[in-house]
Amino acid sequence: MNIDLEMDETWKEEFLERVEKDGPWASWEMYELALEAAHHVSVPEFHGLQAPKHLPHLTILPHQLEVARRVVEEMNGKAILADEVGLGKTIEAGLVLKEYMIRGLVKKALILVPASLVSQWVRELNEKFFIPAVQQKKSYVWEQCDIVVSSIDTAKKPPHRDIIYGQSYDMIIIDEAHKLKNNKTKNYEFVQNLKKKFCLLLTATPIQNRIEEIFNLVSLLKPGHLGSSEQFAKTYGKTRAVQTNDHLKALVNKVMIRNRRADTPIEWAKRHVEPVLIEFTNEEREMYEAVKALRRESFAGSFSLITLLREACSSREALFLTIKNMIDKCGGAVPEPLKRVVEKINAVTTNSKAEKALELIRSINDKVIIFTEYRATQLYLQWFLKQHGISSVPFRGGFRRGKKDWMQELFKHHAQVFIATEAGGEGINLQFCRYVINYDLPWNPMRLEQRIGRVHRLGQTDDVYIYNFAVKQTVEEHILTLLYEKIRLFERVVGELDDILAKMNLANLERYFEDAFVHSRSEGEMKVKMENIVAMIELAEQLGKEGGERYAAT
Amino acid sequence: MQQHEIRRFVERYFAANGCTFVEANDDYLTVQLTAEMDKELMNRPFYWHYIERTGGVPQPMQLTLIIRANERTDKLKGERLHFGAPRLHQLFRSAQKRGSFIRLYEEPSAPLDGNAALHPWLGMNVTISYECDRKKDEIVSLGLHLISGTIVESFHERMRERRLTPKIPDYCFTISPLIKPRSGIGRLEQYIRSRIAADDHAWADEARRRWADDLALLDEFYKDCEEKPECYYIEKEALEKQYKPRITVSVINGGLFYLLPRSS
Repeated sequence: MNIDLEMDETWKEEFLERVEKDGPWASWEMYELALEAAHHVSVPEFHGLQAPKHLPHLTILPHQLEVARRVVEEMNGKAILADEVGLGKTIEAGLVLKEYMIRGLVKKALILVPASLVSQWVRELNEKFFIPAVQQKKSYVWEQCDIVVSSIDTAKKPPHRDIIYGQSYDMIIIDEAHKLKNNKTKNYEFVQNLKKKFCLLLTATPIQNRIEEIFNLVSLLKPGHLGSSEQFAKTYGKTRAVQTNDHLKALVNKVMIRNRRADTPIEWAKRHVEPVLIEFTNEEREMYEAVKALRRESFAGSFSLITLLREACSSREALFLTIKNMIDKCGGAVPEPLKRVVEKINAVTTNSKAEKALELIRSINDKVIIFTEYRATQLYLQWFLKQHGISSVPFRGGFRRGKKDWMQELFKHHAQVFIATEAGGEGINLQFCRYVINYDLPWNPMRLEQRIGRVHRLGQTDDVYIYNFAVKQTVEEHILTLLYEKIRLFERVVGELDDILAKMNLANLERYFEDAFVHSRSEGEMKVKMENIVAMIELAEQLGKEGGERYAAT
Repeated sequence: MQQHEIRRFVERYFAANGCTFVEANDDYLTVQLTAEMDKELMNRPFYWHYIERTGGVPQPMQLTLIIRANERTDKLKGERLHFGAPRLHQLFRSAQKRGSFIRLYEEPSAPLDGNAALHPWLGMNVTISYECDRKKDEIVSLGLHLISGTIVESFHERMRERRLTPKIPDYCFTISPLIKPRSGIGRLEQYIRSRIAADDHAWADEARRRWADDLALLDEFYKDCEEKPECYYIEKEALEKQYKPRITVSVINGGLFYLLPRSS
């Protein structure tokens, strides 16, 4: 037998000392209890999961258990967890970590998550898993605490980085790992140089990535699993997306688990989606047209017309902020067209969208979440609702975690409306609410999914209602038409579009839209471009169907 | 571990440490801690430091442990006890700390004709852990006759059948061990080594194979590098930590047992 064997010496020395000193000795009862305790904490089998027995209060779903089992038994503790949004990747990661801790295989772990999620992770690990995780606040924490949660941006900076490099971690968990898709970044290099025995990379959108990005992610986890970069480029260089190559797909599935909503037998709360079309007042229309006229201006290249148009659809406040910035940049002389826009902004006295929102909120008479992309709109809405006796809570990505938690609680117990900007989309759970107003629509369908995922997730028992606002005869109506009628986003199974976008190798739908809107010289050209996008999506969809196989890990 | 087993363990633990129960029903237990147990479990060193410095009257805390949660226990300021509860694992650790070393004498069951000789035994309960990227434990109980050198397994189960007492019973005397405790421990360790060596270690071979596979991939990944970057070595070391099979033997508890010889 050629296995290292280590005998514990501490008991021996103390025992001999007690023999020498004739005691003190334990009672038989205490002696029995000690042995019994040892039996309870020992794990008699290599196989199977111990963690569920330790977590009787936690509802663990079958697919989550299966993920934990596969990570430990088949993947040797190194895996990319890529479930669709809302299936509980955090629970899966917690289960794996807990399992290893129970078995004594993990003592020291580092959990790297976006800054906005740090305290949520700490809380969930402590409350749901009884794992004494600590938020990194002082630099001694790296060395003195066993389970540390930090943002990657903090961790990679000196002096933290060097202290971390000096630690030997049994497990590294990285949330939102798709941010590590580029192997030229500092973050990538930082993670690559960590000592990691077991490692979990969590991401909801691995499929959107280009094939090189999958290569980078896998190589971070298990270098060589997909060969060296030269080999990989040679073998798969022409492959556009992972799922078009069966061999590559099989290889990736050895280190990645992806559950989809459609594959889990969970009964999801129903989702009702309703478009709400809004009519501008004459003043608003004139403001919008004044912005549109800026397209012909010489300084038009320096800013995004599309942004201005979307702001005009959101609120005059949002538009004004950007226009003012532009004026400031011009120095002394304010260009005539901008002056015109400002005049038109000043002429606007109402906000048709806000009126509509107010009407809807009153008729719902329950908690409502409003998503807007603009801070100025957020502030305006808060003020506007207050004028009408409706309490609301603003929420931004930039809030410190403590404030976020506080705002979330305020909404839960004291306010009717929660107004979030885009950045607020990640990392908050608002299952107690089931009405969402998309005050302005994001371009990227995946972002829309993330928003909806805040309420339509595990634990939501009631039907969910989504209202998508768009102003008639504006850029918004085009987006709405595209999402509804052309892509039929809301009729699809969640996650399906993700696949389609991947097949098209068209992760950045936004760019195509922007091109169609901004660089088209006529309505006609824009329509043609939009049709092209739709045709591409349809083609990809067809290819997917002919291929017959859907990308699934199991 | 079922809730009733947890309850039984907790009751025995506190009773064995001299604590009394203020309340004990099917749903929960309220324990009045002794000063010693308060210091052991409640983690309030400043309070105890203060009391000792000022000579104040110590007020050990009460601890309410909820076994079966319901509307009644919702109103209590208590901790829910279940198999994963940190409090229970604290009690496990405390029990192991307080029950590590023992010395007992066997009490004759019938009155003796004359004096009886008690033979010295060294008892040891150990956990053997087999570890690679997975882990399993085995608990073994051994006894060594400190006169003849005979080693028996399931020693603890045998002890449960005997009447043992911490004081030497009347009309009994102990025979001095021929094998001193230190070398006795050595003999048991040797026995454990041989026992392990005789085992089948397919698990270790499999772990080494997984290790070799990953190592081959890693070498392949960096094969075109003339000088391997640092992360190659970091990863290589991590693979060793992940997969390299190792066995650790730790003593749960043990002690000296003076026993009446058996004819069998």
